[in-house]
Amino acid sequence: MSRLLKITVDHRYCVGSAQCVNLAPGVFRHNENVQSEVFDPAGAPEAAVLKAARFCPTSAIRVEDANTGEVLFPQA
Amino acid sequence: MSHDPDDLFAPEVIADPYGYFGHLRETDPLHWNARSELWIVTRYEDLVWLVRHHELFSSAVIKSDQRPPYPPIDAEDRGLFDEVRHFRSDQLVEQDRPAHTTMREAVHEYFTPTAMESWRPFVRAAVAELLDEVAPKGRMDVLQALAAPLPVRIITHMMGVPSEDRDHLRALADKLLYINRGESYRMKPLMEGIRAMMEYVEPKVGQRAEKPENDFISVLAAAEKNGVFTRHQVLVNTALLLFAGHETTMNLICNGTLALLCHPDQWARLTADPAGTVRVATEEILRYDPPVKSTQRIAAADVERHGKQIRKGDRIRWIMAAANRDPRIFENPDRFDLSRSPNPHVSFGSGIHYCLGATLARVEGQEVFRALAERFPDLWLDTDVLEYQPSIQFRSLKSLPVAWGHGA
Repeated sequence: MSRLLKITVDHRYCVGSAQCVNLAPGVFRHNENVQSEVFDPAGAPEAAVLKAARFCPTSAIRVEDANTGEVLFPQA
Repeated sequence: MSHDPDDLFAPEVIADPYGYFGHLRETDPLHWNARSELWIVTRYEDLVWLVRHHELFSSAVIKSDQRPPYPPIDAEDRGLFDEVRHFRSDQLVEQDRPAHTTMREAVHEYFTPTAMESWRPFVRAAVAELLDEVAPKGRMDVLQALAAPLPVRIITHMMGVPSEDRDHLRALADKLLYINRGESYRMKPLMEGIRAMMEYVEPKVGQRAEKPENDFISVLAAAEKNGVFTRHQVLVNTALLLFAGHETTMNLICNGTLALLCHPDQWARLTADPAGTVRVATEEILRYDPPVKSTQRIAAADVERHGKQIRKGDRIRWIMAAANRDPRIFENPDRFDLSRSPNPHVSFGSGIHYCLGATLARVEGQEVFRALAERFPDLWLDTDVLEYQPSIQFRSLKSLPVAWGHGA
């Protein structure tokens, strides 16, 4: 059983580059402003979510372990 | 002197794009420029909407636009223009989906914020070395001593080519700078630079395909092996890296230094705590006088906006320099305020073509402004004359003399 993730997109920084939507289309989609939103935090393997966060050109995505609160991205 | 209000290359527009495009932003936000036959978009919200709707506004500007170049070029250079078009059509920035998605994915790993941040120590050392050379002189032209050589050093290293080749690459980069300039003879130096760049890179691509290294040419060579890039696309996009990273960084460093020296109160804030303030300060520098003033799209469909009808095939130029000063988004937009935060400037664009090198540009800017503030806190502007290149796209100073210590 994979762990539950808490994924947030900071809309002050999201520029709609679509990297996350391309890499994890089961998790992220664009809203009407063409900014990313999370519609299913369990919609892709953890590795794909972390790659999406790393590929965000403005580092707008934050990924945490939903149970422990441990920050998985960005890394300290 | 031109009196046509649509002359985008008029000396007053080149000298002060903020006045000219700011006026359009407040009076005619979707302006038809009859002289250059294109729409001009100046408001922040319009610009973001346009750039994020890549399905409505194509990036294949060179590929699909059959109109003659503006401003006009020398008649005998028509053949060169076609060659330049063939070259530029293969640039990543000219691609639409689906080609853009796969091509960008192939190079994106190399340019993630995490990957680019790891270049900071190298950038810091390069800045220190360049400033060591000029420090005893007490004066320098920021462009020649710092802003032009720094990005060439970094890109040379990224390309994985020997440092002895720096001068050659800088000479080629200087010729590539004629893209989107106004001189009627510009196709000649531009095509010379393109040809020489292709010749320089070609054998290196072959080597990297055989024996990959940890550099950008190897990334492209691998993408060619995987069928994502053709050989021509590999060569063109290596040249794009040199050009795109050179011109824009030069302008960031010169425009930022100028803005800081023209606002002594803000310069004092930076020198009081360079390491603590430079990140937020660099964002304001990017907003206030961006390296790229404007860029272009071509309508892929009929679109209505502000009660006007954009037709499929129309050219649209969007002015980041005007959107960054939109009072609907930024309080006191003409004020240079190093503590401005949040600062959602559009100097790197937005949407799927958001600048690939944004983090690297930020790192370079931060390291330069920090080093200047730490080493030369009494820096001053050593000229009364400022001249800009006649470009619609780039905000490029021709020189920026400064002095410090006993340099006067």
